[in-house]
Amino acid sequence: MKPETRKRRRSHLRIAGAVALALGIAGAVPARAATDPGRDVIDKKCASCHLEDGKLTRIPEIRKSPEGWDMTVVRMGIWHKVELTADERRAVVKYLADRQGLAPSESAAFRFLTERRPNMQDAPPDDELAQMCARCHSYGRVALQRRDEDEWRKLMHTHLGQFPSAEYSALGRDRNWWEIARDKMPGRLAGLYPKNTDAWRDWSRAKHRPADGSWVVAGERPGWGPYTGTMTARAKGKDQYEVSYEFRFGAGNTVRGHGEAVIYTGYEWRGSAKLGNEDTRSIFALNEDGSRIDGRWFLKGADEIGATFEAVRADKSAKNALVSVSPSMLRAGDTATVTLAGAGLDPKVDLGPGVEVVEWLGKSAEELKLRVKVAADATSGLRKIAVGGRESDRTVAVYRQIDSVRVEPAFGIARVGGGTNPPVSAQFDAVAFLDGADGKSGTDDDVRLGSVPAKWSTEPFDERAKHDEDLKFAGHMEPHGQFLPSFAGPNPNRRGLNNVGNLSVVATVADGGRSLNAKGQLVVTVQRWNPTPLR
Amino acid sequence: MRILPINKARMALLALCCAAASLPAVAAEYLLTVTRPNNLHIVDPAKREVLRTITLPGDGIPGAVAVPKDGKTAYVLTNRMESVVGVDLDTGKPVFRADFSTPQRRVKGFFAIAVSEDGKELYAHQAPVQLGRSEYKVEDTYIAVFDTADGMNAKPRRTFPAPRRITVMAATGKPDHLVALGWDMYLFNTKTGKMEQTFPLRHWNRPGIAEPDTLAMWGTFEQARAVSTPYFVAKTDVPPDSPEAFKAGIAVFDLDAETLKVKEFENATTVMFSSVINPVKRNEAFLVMNQLTKVDTETGQVLKRKELEQTFYTINISGDGKELYVGGALDKVAIYDADTFEKKGEITMPGGADQSIGWMRVVKR
Repeated sequence: MKPETRKRRRSHLRIAGAVALALGIAGAVPARAATDPGRDVIDKKCASCHLEDGKLTRIPEIRKSPEGWDMTVVRMGIWHKVELTADERRAVVKYLADRQGLAPSESAAFRFLTERRPNMQDAPPDDELAQMCARCHSYGRVALQRRDEDEWRKLMHTHLGQFPSAEYSALGRDRNWWEIARDKMPGRLAGLYPKNTDAWRDWSRAKHRPADGSWVVAGERPGWGPYTGTMTARAKGKDQYEVSYEFRFGAGNTVRGHGEAVIYTGYEWRGSAKLGNEDTRSIFALNEDGSRIDGRWFLKGADEIGATFEAVRADKSAKNALVSVSPSMLRAGDTATVTLAGAGLDPKVDLGPGVEVVEWLGKSAEELKLRVKVAADATSGLRKIAVGGRESDRTVAVYRQIDSVRVEPAFGIARVGGGTNPPVSAQFDAVAFLDGADGKSGTDDDVRLGSVPAKWSTEPFDERAKHDEDLKFAGHMEPHGQFLPSFAGPNPNRRGLNNVGNLSVVATVADGGRSLNAKGQLVVTVQRWNPTPLR
Repeated sequence: MRILPINKARMALLALCCAAASLPAVAAEYLLTVTRPNNLHIVDPAKREVLRTITLPGDGIPGAVAVPKDGKTAYVLTNRMESVVGVDLDTGKPVFRADFSTPQRRVKGFFAIAVSEDGKELYAHQAPVQLGRSEYKVEDTYIAVFDTADGMNAKPRRTFPAPRRITVMAATGKPDHLVALGWDMYLFNTKTGKMEQTFPLRHWNRPGIAEPDTLAMWGTFEQARAVSTPYFVAKTDVPPDSPEAFKAGIAVFDLDAETLKVKEFENATTVMFSSVINPVKRNEAFLVMNQLTKVDTETGQVLKRKELEQTFYTINISGDGKELYVGGALDKVAIYDADTFEKKGEITMPGGADQSIGWMRVVKR
């Protein structure tokens, strides 16, 4: 927490107190009839247990992400038979996430979890937290909550009370798990994730810009490639929007669709949309001033398949807000067509020394299209793009040849499917790199050029995989780098293994007359049986 | 053993076999196993058939099974680990029930139930949590002692403190002695409630050897009167990437001598869930999961190993040491020759029901 003056703190406390009273979050149930349907659920359903001496217990002591609150509400239904309609569930989650959510800076480090990005490594701060918490669920599920020490301790009691096998399972039974959970973890967690923070105080007091209006968007869907397009949001109630989309993936592949979105906590965008013929979900975040959105959208029921998403607000206040440059890599000596997408774009572009604009093909506030000539002796490497005299954070790379290719993710997971559990595929991408100053490939100073088309194949990862014939049983690779795993089994031909496998994923990339190879690892493993919104 | 027939048509046949079984020339052996949702099965391993299925009261899923020496009553941990139900194996009727939990207090027993050799007392390791309106409160664990004569609404006669995470308990050959396996092995006096001795596993302090990982979820000790469990342990005096860096071993507690012996027998590459000691050749241990393994606990040699056709969690052995019974996990009990590992037969549970984590015990009648 940042230090602050006593005077400022007093004034904050007064304001916070007034806000808390008005909202009833100090625990007192207001005498007036609740006007918010979410508050109504708390008073009528939650308070049947969480009310003591006229004050709410537990609920006011916690802050969480929208998914965190939703999981709590669902758990109350499973554990304590709290029956809520779908409307009541939505209302109470909205109410709580708005009033007891996380500030953008508090959720930022774990957006990969919220956005359900596949094949991400969890990020616990140390072994003890990894083993005490993150051996059963993601560490992010912890880090996206805020409580004080007493309340963290109550959570520990809930944990062992509800999941008594925690002290018997691996990395629980090798230590005095309960004593550590009860006596040590609450203090540590309250230190890392305390209930009261400057960030939340400031965010909860601030007014946030609504999301309605036009947006210029861009992103990349692994397997399909980059896209640019537009999004239009129309307000249809407080924090609720009707949204239409148009994504242009490339010639002949424009995807249109529309759907709905709700904004929680002033910035947490949760949407659903039919895009083309696909049912999708979107998990985005507005930035603090509401001028940009970023996040990820993915297929409903197959969240490993999706796309990154960035948007800039296309209104009068937008000034040279660049969201994408395509292509992102230019070969020295070539002439190429470059498209810049953004909002309020002035037709004045600087792509750095050695890249000369030779022809303008289109000049609108939202798209600049130009022919560029890259000098044969232009310096290789990244250069920042300036539009309208203003340097952006977008780059374009000049290269002579691709020095190396990497398969991303370097380590991917697919899961066999069967019964009520659909298979989980794995999508791979081939990414081109230039060597950095050290002249070596595969080192930290390599320069990322971007995704490139590749031919995909699989091989046994090691001798064991070869012996067990993993290649034959685990599934197959689609031409666009998506591995489709087999069914779960039982497979009588593979006793004890069924259709799991350990494979190398090989990308072969053509660069002029050269051919480059890269390898990643793919583990095809067993099903997950608890597909929670936050793993 | 007298078996009550399920319907009249089968009565004559069953009565005949029961008559034979109830007056054996030599003691006959029967297997007890349990399946989802809440059934106890009496299996005749000689005939390769399920003799009788007893439906247990309560919510399932049955797990641990404890039987006194006379083999007349089976005590089954069930009702989501919150009750022990005792059934008379001759009549199939429930004769004992202890529900651990109340609406305000949830009490679980993690497998660890045991019965005194004379059958008069039942011991259950219990992990309680108070269920407040708005919060839970985890309480310390203890061993509850029940009088088996207390019938269908039995309450603990007394309790005494015990460490957390205990999984297997057994009455030893000495009066009032109960051994419990958790982090270490603890020897309790059930009358005084005193922990009289600790046999270290986690705290064994052996140079070059780390703390072992033990999770003994299956208690099969009646034939050799030896509680045994596989364990896995890191060696700290070799490089971590050496094949020697992680070993499999077996811990054997002799219930009559009250001694604990541990022996590593191979580099850990194979997962084994449970084990049983040969009552005839007491240096032989058999271990199971996806393979059947025979180990010499004196020399630390792997004597034999065979891939199994499916996963089995639990293993038991005939009194003459000739037949191995593997069960648990799915719907089969398979019988193997203890010398050759040749498969000699299998028994499928009625309706293909899963034995899951259920125990498989041998009773002699």
